[in-house]
Amino acid sequence: MSSDIVFYAAIVWVTVLLGVIVVRLAAASTTAQRILALDLLTLVLIGLLALAAGEDQRSYALDAALALALLSFVATLAACKYYEGRKPFT
Amino acid sequence: MTAVIADVLILLGLAILTIGVYGIVRLPDVYTQLHAASKAGFLGIAALLAAAALEGDGAIIARAVLIVALLALTTPVAAHAIARAAHRREEPMRTPAAVDETRDEP
Repeated sequence: MSSDIVFYAAIVWVTVLLGVIVVRLAAASTTAQRILALDLLTLVLIGLLALAAGEDQRSYALDAALALALLSFVATLAACKYYEGRKPFT
Repeated sequence: MTAVIADVLILLGLAILTIGVYGIVRLPDVYTQLHAASKAGFLGIAALLAAAALEGDGAIIARAVLIVALLALTTPVAAHAIARAAHRREEPMRTPAAVDETRDEP
């Protein structure tokens, strides 16, 4: 277990980063920037789950992180293919 | 001792993630933002997962290694897909010295 002050500061700081990315997602000027911001949002969310798993040995948080990583990869690829003008599943 | 190393890894990961998010906010177009988001994002997450695995039991270590390996494979592919989609939709390059060598005009 890491020390408490570092853990809580890290949780707060990652949440601030999530807020910044959400603002950036809403204010993006192009669609590719929006897809990229969504991708980074799930990546930071995986970091938050990793912090939660490391604090008191909750391995199921990393199960959720694994599912989130797979899902965000497929979602990014599908969104990019759709944005290119092709159908996502052909 | 391992608690100190875990703290250092958490702070390192947070610093790298902050650099990535700052790049998203400040860089002008999607092609340059991809540098910040994919590389810094993956490195920051890898540091946080290493901090979690440092004092975890076998279940946490196995999942952390699996997630890092998975992200090492998928993050570059996702970044490349975003860049290719943006390029095919002809999104402008706003960096001052940017040259698009796939276009014909000088």
